Amino acid sequence: MSVLARRDRALTPEETEALLRDRLGDGIIGSTLAHRMFTVHVAPSAWVDTFTRCRDEPLLDFDLFDTLHGVDAREDGFDVVAILYSTSTGNRLCLRTRCEGGRDTPVCPSLNDVYRGANWMERETWDMFGIEFPGHPALEPRILTVENFEGWPLRKDFHLASRVAKPWPGVKEPAELDEDGNVIERVPGIGDAPGPYVLDEAMAAQAIALRQVSAAIDAAAGNEAAVASAEPTVSDATMPEASAPASGTAASTDPAAAADAARTADEQRRAQAEARARKAAERAADETPEEQA
Amino acid sequence: MSDLDVREQLLQGTAPGEGLAIELVGDGDLVTADMSLSIGPAHPATHGVFRVVFEMDGERILRAKPVIGYMHRGFEKLAEYRDYRQIMALVNRHDWLSGFSNELGVALAVEQMLEMEVPERAQWIRMLMAEWNRILNHLMFIGSFALELGAITPMFYAFREREDIQHLMESATGGRLHFTYNQVGGVKIDLPRGFLAESARVSKLTRSRMPDYDDLVLGNEIFRGRTVDIGPLPTDVALSLGVTGPALHATGLAEDSRVTEPYLKYGDIDVEVPVGRNGDAYDRFAVLLGRIRVSLDIIDQIHDHMTSGPVNQKLPKMVKAPEGATYVRTENPLGQLGYWLESDGGRTPWRLKMRTPSFSNVQAIPYLVQGQLLPDAISILGSVFFVVGDIDR
Repeated sequence: MSVLARRDRALTPEETEALLRDRLGDGIIGSTLAHRMFTVHVAPSAWVDTFTRCRDEPLLDFDLFDTLHGVDAREDGFDVVAILYSTSTGNRLCLRTRCEGGRDTPVCPSLNDVYRGANWMERETWDMFGIEFPGHPALEPRILTVENFEGWPLRKDFHLASRVAKPWPGVKEPAELDEDGNVIERVPGIGDAPGPYVLDEAMAAQAIALRQVSAAIDAAAGNEAAVASAEPTVSDATMPEASAPASGTAASTDPAAAADAARTADEQRRAQAEARARKAAERAADETPEEQA
Repeated sequence: MSDLDVREQLLQGTAPGEGLAIELVGDGDLVTADMSLSIGPAHPATHGVFRVVFEMDGERILRAKPVIGYMHRGFEKLAEYRDYRQIMALVNRHDWLSGFSNELGVALAVEQMLEMEVPERAQWIRMLMAEWNRILNHLMFIGSFALELGAITPMFYAFREREDIQHLMESATGGRLHFTYNQVGGVKIDLPRGFLAESARVSKLTRSRMPDYDDLVLGNEIFRGRTVDIGPLPTDVALSLGVTGPALHATGLAEDSRVTEPYLKYGDIDVEVPVGRNGDAYDRFAVLLGRIRVSLDIIDQIHDHMTSGPVNQKLPKMVKAPEGATYVRTENPLGQLGYWLESDGGRTPWRLKMRTPSFSNVQAIPYLVQGQLLPDAISILGSVFFVVGDIDR
């Protein structure tokens, strides 16, 4: 195999940058070498020229178009990152540019004429970030999302719909922290976080009805302690039941209102958890003397 | 006159031999109207919800337009709402035939960000599982490709082997499809007792059954007639499109991450890369079969190299990747899988880009089918091995 034999031809990152600077001048803004990846930052005006050079310059010979994607760069707008690989030297190069036009109208020149593979990659980047690629034959129709989808899903200001309508079902929230920077913990229960679907509401109602039935059975058996602990749970659970469908419908219309609703539901849930813990402690305290007697 | 000779004449556009009542239409003097033919999104020849619109002139394809996105599940967005341990359960789902290899890429990316040293035994176990997973994947495609060309039997043979291997992997990971066996810093749990002996037994058994596929499929005249010189792909076009894996090796270029950029312990062992000649459907299939043999060789070498010791690292309560970005590329069964991981120092990634092999390989379909006959398009679609979930993510 000839692939490894030509490794000695490979340029070092410094030499690569020097060569690109020599050919493109001010188009090359700078470079970073971190986490075993060499990145060259390119001005948008020199974006296409850089790739043409990388492909055609015999010393570089980047022939494999690996990937191209967007990255949200907060208030500065969006970055476009492309990665090239050379099968003859074994070098990898990451090229990065900041789109012109800020967050409102991000624009990046198209690489479609340099590498065939850029076609779909740029369509995907437009679909996900709304970055326009002048020179691309046809960014539309949307490649991954449905044709009539509105919004740019991978922008950070596009919120994950399922997370607005319904909090994380696990105990620890992975993506958010509370005001003090602590991990948010919740005690999940059946029917606590009904989703935006009719079935979820039905399941929540069923869970509450079941609890009432079991409380009634306990009462009939004459277990007074069980009745005392079950009754508050029932009233606790009916409260969010009344407000939950409202939060579900609000989510589909207004995201801000839905977020508010989610927050109030959150507080209710935390209060519930505290109440439940208090009840459990009381019950434990009640039961111990009986056993001793 | 054999079928092959007729096919050759058809491809060259010359009149077929005497005594055969075949008349070429479309390219001849007959006036025909272009028509558009849609295959999919639900069609037996597409392995899932994948659609191609062909513009036809008679039997000949003028242009093809793949329509993807029917299975888009927004994995890249979902990953931004999950921490690094939860992502493992997410990424083994986009290419459901190579769950272990997908997890491996993310684990390697996070470890590269943390500059974490993974215990030696964990690296060997990861390699062992990755190679078994590769064989599982390739067996599936060997069965399904032959099925698309009308041969049902290879599918049954492939599933006979797959069952043994899935049973083996299940004994260690608990999963048959979604293993979730990797974690940052190693693997979840050590191998069960007797695993290596069983692995050696299955390896020997699979190797002894490999000639069945040669006899059943590769030597089959119908199979050869439908794949030889169908959909050839030149190396430079493949590279420009980003095509990797068996489809690239079939063009004659041995560009395999396990050899050119060794990760884990691949640098310590011999990895052969089977290559084809002109990148046609036959070569792509032959490379796939060859890769199974190579994987079995690797598995035997891993058995010899396996060391003892811990299999993972004690992790802090919360894994946080430092600020910055990295890119890790691994040789997945279908091609090179790249994960671009950018972190702002938080518990969840700022951006996780999945560069999936199927997405880039499917992009070659319009090039491959242009000017081909419609029945050959089925053979080409099947030979560009892809998983729809891996295209749409």
